[in-house]
Amino acid sequence: MEKKRHISLSVWPLYIWTVLFVALPLVYVVVISFLQRGDTWGVTDQVTIDNYVKMVDPMYGSIFLETLAMAVLTTALTFLFGYPFAYYVCKLPARLRGVMILLLMAPFWINSLCRLNGWMILLKSNGVINSLLLNLGIIDEPLKLLYNFGAVVVGMVYALAPFMILSCYNSIEKMDWSVVEAARDLGASAWKAFVTVTLPLTMPGVVAGCVLVFVPSMGLFFISDLMGGAKTVLIGNLIRTELTAARNWPFGAALSMVMLLATVGIIWVYKRVSGSKSLGDLM
Amino acid sequence: MKKLVSKLGLVALALVLVMTLFTGCQQAEEKKELVIFSWADYVPSDIIDEFEEQYGVTVTYNYFTNPDEALQKLASVDGGEYDIVINSDYTIDIARKEGLLMELDKSKIPNYEKLNPAYLSQFYDPDNLYTVPYVPGTPLIIYDPSKVDIEITGYNSLWDESLKDSIVLLDYDRVMIGLVLKSMGYSLNETDPDILAQAEEKLLALKPNVRALNMDTPYETMLSGEATVGLMFGSQVAWVYGERPDFKVVYPEEGMGFGIDCAFIPKNAPHPDVAHEFLNFICDPEISARISMNENVMAINCNLESEPYLSEEYLSNPALFIPTEMLGEKEFIEDIGAEASEMYAEIWNRFKQA
Repeated sequence: MEKKRHISLSVWPLYIWTVLFVALPLVYVVVISFLQRGDTWGVTDQVTIDNYVKMVDPMYGSIFLETLAMAVLTTALTFLFGYPFAYYVCKLPARLRGVMILLLMAPFWINSLCRLNGWMILLKSNGVINSLLLNLGIIDEPLKLLYNFGAVVVGMVYALAPFMILSCYNSIEKMDWSVVEAARDLGASAWKAFVTVTLPLTMPGVVAGCVLVFVPSMGLFFISDLMGGAKTVLIGNLIRTELTAARNWPFGAALSMVMLLATVGIIWVYKRVSGSKSLGDLM
Repeated sequence: MKKLVSKLGLVALALVLVMTLFTGCQQAEEKKELVIFSWADYVPSDIIDEFEEQYGVTVTYNYFTNPDEALQKLASVDGGEYDIVINSDYTIDIARKEGLLMELDKSKIPNYEKLNPAYLSQFYDPDNLYTVPYVPGTPLIIYDPSKVDIEITGYNSLWDESLKDSIVLLDYDRVMIGLVLKSMGYSLNETDPDILAQAEEKLLALKPNVRALNMDTPYETMLSGEATVGLMFGSQVAWVYGERPDFKVVYPEEGMGFGIDCAFIPKNAPHPDVAHEFLNFICDPEISARISMNENVMAINCNLESEPYLSEEYLSNPALFIPTEMLGEKEFIEDIGAEASEMYAEIWNRFKQA
C-alpha cells in the first residue's frame, strides 16, 4: 500500500505537466475551432462548424494534397538516401561508426534556420555553386537554383534525413548478421539476401524512420518559405498565416485539428504495420 | 547532511531574493521610470541611453513581434503597465475605438509643433489628440536598370512580359492585393466581392513574373541577384539602395499606399509625466534625425526642422528622403473587418498556390 502511494506521488508532476501543457491547450484548440472569429481578433462566443465546412473548398483540398505529396516525396527520398547511408555506416569499424554518427548529429547543434541560410548561400544567384560554375566557364548565366519546388525538396530532405538515417541505423546495427550469412550459404545472391532477409528484418527501423520524417515534413513551413520563396503553400504555412497575418484563429485551429487527426492516423497505421505496442519504439 | 545543505541553500536563496526586492524598491524611489512597448530595437539604444541620462530615468524596453498581439496585450492590461507604445496605424485606430489611449497634454510637448503636418491628422487620430508620428513608410518599387529592359513607372509596369520570374514581392495580402486594386484605380481598402474578384484575376496574371515572396528579408533577395525588381516596404528599399545606389527607386505613379507607426501613451500608463518627456524628446529635431538614420529604423523623417541633422547619405537616398509633394494623396491600409479580411486571405492563398 505504502509503495503504491509513493509511485503515484512521483508521477504527479508528469500528470500536472501533461494536463497543463498538453491536454488543456488541446482542448483550447478544439473549442476555438468551433467558434466564430471576432471582428478584429480572437473569437466570439458563437458556435459554428463553418471552419470545417470551409475546408471543402478545392483550394484547401489542393493544399492538403500538395502537402501530402511533399511529405511522401520527402519520405521516399530520405529513405533512398538514408538507408544505404545507414547500411554502410554499420559496416564501418566501430570507432569510425561513432565518428560518422557524431558528424551526422553535429549539425543539430546549429539552429535549423542558420543551416537553411547556408543552403541559400550555396544556391543563390551569386552564391557558391553559381560562382564556381560561372568561373569554370560551364555556364554563362547564373542558374535559378533557389525558389522552386526542387529547392524546397532539397531543404526538406536535408532537414529530415538524419531522423531516417538514425532510425535505420538502429535497426541495421541490432540485426543478427549470421542470418544473412546463412542465406548466402544456402545460395542466395547478395541482392536476394538483402531483399528477403536484411530488409524485412530492418523494416521496423524503416517504418519508424518514415513516421519520423513524414509527420514533421507536414509542418515545416519555414523551409517552403525560405527555399521556395513562399510560392508553395503547405498546410503548415496555411496554419501559420491564418493564426498570424489573417488573424483567423478559429480556422487556424480547425486546420490544426485536421493535421492532428492526420498525424494520429499515420501513427495508428505505424502501430498496425509494425505491431509495436508503444510509441517509445519510434526512437 | 544532504538535507541540511539543501535547506541552507533554500534559506540563502530566499535571502538573496528578499535583498533584491529591497534594492529594487530603493531604486524606484530615487529614479524615474519609463516602460516602452514596441518592436525590438525600434527605439535605438543610444537614443534610450541619452534619454535615461538627460532625464534621470530608467527605461524598460518590452518588445513584441506582431502588432496585433501587442494590441491584445495592451487591451488585456486595460491600457496600463506601459508608458509608451509604438505600434502601427490601424492597431492605433482600434485601440482608440476601444478607448485605450490617453489624451496628450501638448503643453508638455513643446516640440510637437515641429512635426510635419503632412503626417498628422490621419484616420487613426483625426484631431491629433493621442499620437506622435514616429516612423512613416510606404511600399516602393526598386529595380536594377542594368538587368531590366523596360522603364518601370508604377505598379502596372510589373505585369510586363520581360519581367518573367524576376520580381520579389512582399508576402502580405493587404499590401499586394491593395496595390493591384490601386493599379486598377480602386481603393486599397476595397471590400466589394466583385471588384476583389477582378483584382484576383489580375493578381493571378502577375504570378509568372514572381521570383519569390518575402516579408522579412526581400532586400536579401534583391542584393543576392535573385530578383531584379522588388516591391517592398520603404525602409527595405532604402536598405537595398544604400548598398546599390545604381538601382532605381520608383514612386509608383498610381499613388502610394501609406502607413505610419506612431507613439502614444496608454490610458492607464503608470508614469504619464515621464512619457510626455519622452515624446518631447523624440520630437527634438536632432534626436528625430538620428532615429530616422538608425539602421534598425531607416525611415522617412517627419520633423520639419530635422533636415540640417540628416546626413548626405540619407538625403540622397530616394527611399528615405521623399519630397512631401511627391507623397500626393496618402491612402492608408485600414481595418476592413473579419469578412473582407478573409476574402483577402483566400485570394492571397490562391495566388500563392497557383
